[in-house]
Amino acid sequence: MSTALQQTDKPLAALKPKKKKQWQSYALMFILPSFLIYTLFVIVPTAGSIYLSFTSWDGISEDMRYIGFANFVEIWHSPRVHNALKNTLVMTISLVVLENIAAIAMAILVDKVRWFRNLFRSIFYFPTLLSGIVMGFVWAMILNYNFGVFNQILDAVGLGSWVVDWLGNPKYAMLSIILSTVWKGAGYYMIIYLAGLQGIPPELNEAASIDGANGFQQFRHITFPLLAGSMTVCMVLSMISALKIFDQIAVMTDGGPGFETETLTYIIYKVGFGELRQGFGTALAMVLFLIIMLITVIQVKFLRKREVQM
Amino acid sequence: MYKKSVTALSATLLAATAILSACGSNNNASNTANNGNNTAATNAPAATTDAKKEVQFSIGYASGDPATKEAIAEAVKAFMEANPNVKIKDISETSSAAYLDWLKTKDAVGEFPDLVEIRDTQVFADAGKIVELPADLAELFDNPPQVDGKVWNAPMSVNVPQGIIYSKKAYADAGITELPKTYDEFLAIQEKLKASGITPLVVGGKDIFHMGFWVNKFLIDDVYSKDPDWNSKRTAKTVSFTDANVVQAMTDFKDLFTNYVDKGWLSTGDNQTASILVAGKAAQLYSGTWMFTQIQEADPSFEFGFYAIPDREGKVNVIGLPSPAGWSLSAEAAKDADKTEAIKDFIRFFFAPEQYAKYLASINAIPSTKEKVTYETGEQMQVALDLIADPNVTKSLAINNWWGDNLIPPQFRNWFYKLLQDLVVKDENVTDYMKQADTEYDAQVKANQQ
Repeated sequence: MSTALQQTDKPLAALKPKKKKQWQSYALMFILPSFLIYTLFVIVPTAGSIYLSFTSWDGISEDMRYIGFANFVEIWHSPRVHNALKNTLVMTISLVVLENIAAIAMAILVDKVRWFRNLFRSIFYFPTLLSGIVMGFVWAMILNYNFGVFNQILDAVGLGSWVVDWLGNPKYAMLSIILSTVWKGAGYYMIIYLAGLQGIPPELNEAASIDGANGFQQFRHITFPLLAGSMTVCMVLSMISALKIFDQIAVMTDGGPGFETETLTYIIYKVGFGELRQGFGTALAMVLFLIIMLITVIQVKFLRKREVQM
Repeated sequence: MYKKSVTALSATLLAATAILSACGSNNNASNTANNGNNTAATNAPAATTDAKKEVQFSIGYASGDPATKEAIAEAVKAFMEANPNVKIKDISETSSAAYLDWLKTKDAVGEFPDLVEIRDTQVFADAGKIVELPADLAELFDNPPQVDGKVWNAPMSVNVPQGIIYSKKAYADAGITELPKTYDEFLAIQEKLKASGITPLVVGGKDIFHMGFWVNKFLIDDVYSKDPDWNSKRTAKTVSFTDANVVQAMTDFKDLFTNYVDKGWLSTGDNQTASILVAGKAAQLYSGTWMFTQIQEADPSFEFGFYAIPDREGKVNVIGLPSPAGWSLSAEAAKDADKTEAIKDFIRFFFAPEQYAKYLASINAIPSTKEKVTYETGEQMQVALDLIADPNVTKSLAINNWWGDNLIPPQFRNWFYKLLQDLVVKDENVTDYMKQADTEYDAQVKANQQ
């Protein structure tokens, strides 16, 4: 690597100062468009958002008053935000665990199955093509208390006593959202795990098999450790996706019943757009940003340690 | 200018952070400038419009109720047929679950409608988003409500009373022969219906506005009918949600929902309630006169009646006072003379007796114009009209429809309705929850004052 760098650097370093300056100005010209776009669409709005989070702006008027840390103090004391944070964490942990378990199981299935392999891949992957909104509408219809297919099936097979309002009962609303989101998301991670599985040399399993290892032992000691790279990617992606979950909640429960399924992203929208508190909503978005950053750093650091290089 | 740019970009970041791409829209009519010059649109015959310049404006309204959406869409279509040079882009979306959210989102993405139905008039007037209704339009109406001494809206209709829409068959099957004269008699009817094997009440609690029907019935009976200035007193902290009258109202609400409401009420949308009623899955629905058309369309042979629920003393209190809501001109549209003229022409067209009667008949509404407008009404609508005409019936407003000193923080309504959902599904203590309501109300008042 160092040799390559030296070879690349040498011609520029060897240039005369005037020529060197000319090359540097060309380089700047190439960088400038990206720099401007990034500044305009990322740096400026981010700086603007940081400023907004210290105001009481309602989102529609010209009046934008600076109120210091009042929004952050309110976030710290607000039971509604605490409840949303709790819901977000419950949902995130559940989704990360369940989506990854389902994805690994599906990946192993489509890797091992001899017949209809492509059919299974398509079936498992298809839900990921749906938008969160469409998926939310579909599941809201399926789980509707009065007209939903799910309750009608339960009724038809003699399980009428199990019929409940899946999206209106606080015991089941969160679970319904989590399971329907796993149905939608697991197929995407399955593809990543499948790529990981197909990168494992078959000789390793063959050797283990000759040594007497059974299927579970092979998975435990060969497949699972060698999937660590895929797992790092999938865990981080599913965690970020779960922390930002919004569409399904908006469509399926509107954060309800009561406040039972309100998450941080959901109240950022409700507060910012519906309750005319853009300043407070932006402060919440800043807090969410910090949470995502913190968890991602910790997660990557932890997961990287257990990756196995071949 | 800089401040505005930073604001717009920051709002974009907030939206991106919250992954709100799906909440956007491809509609861009609101800011699509008209191609016209200075010729106003009129209701004149099409043959004379050849010389007129093209004008385009956008329209937005709460379209959750299918009958309302259809009625307004018909008016828009008829106007464009009569005025081919005017193109009206209807950017309304079929969800009035959170109309304020929708309007605010439209504003954030630069698509605030040129002609817009406004319900939170004070909020949008204070923000400079709407302009005063032109005097020549204001004079079409009989004493339209004013905010800050100005008329901002062309009221689409007078507030109509809400009440029980009941299946005559279910009442007959349960042996109910008389309508209730007190709230306790009403509860006795619920017991009879329950005993007959039918779910007494269907509620579309998935749509937060629908929650307000019942919440406000009890608040009006126990609070607003006796003290119309209660909201301003709450803001001044001289009354409390934990006062006996409010606790009583919310206890009645909780008991009713716990005992007599369909178990799927939290996943039932407002637009599903008519189907459940006519299918015989529930005996009654508490709603407004706009539902009559939906019910008749769902099953023309379905026989139903309508009445207002009396309070415990036998008095009848209903929604029926005027409130500042209706068509408003956006401040942006008002800067364009052609657009303003076209919008004014549309408003005149909308309220012209022949056209207005169609709108009113579609949703069983009460006219707000000075000019008398009549249409054929059914027996249920006649009950509503009698309630409005009866001087012994107390007329009031929902918690969020008061204005001036009685305006509540605009964000409080939805929060309060959600709190009450929580109260019912978790079977919690009413007084404890009302303490939370006090805390939140004060916090929101404080936040709005910052």
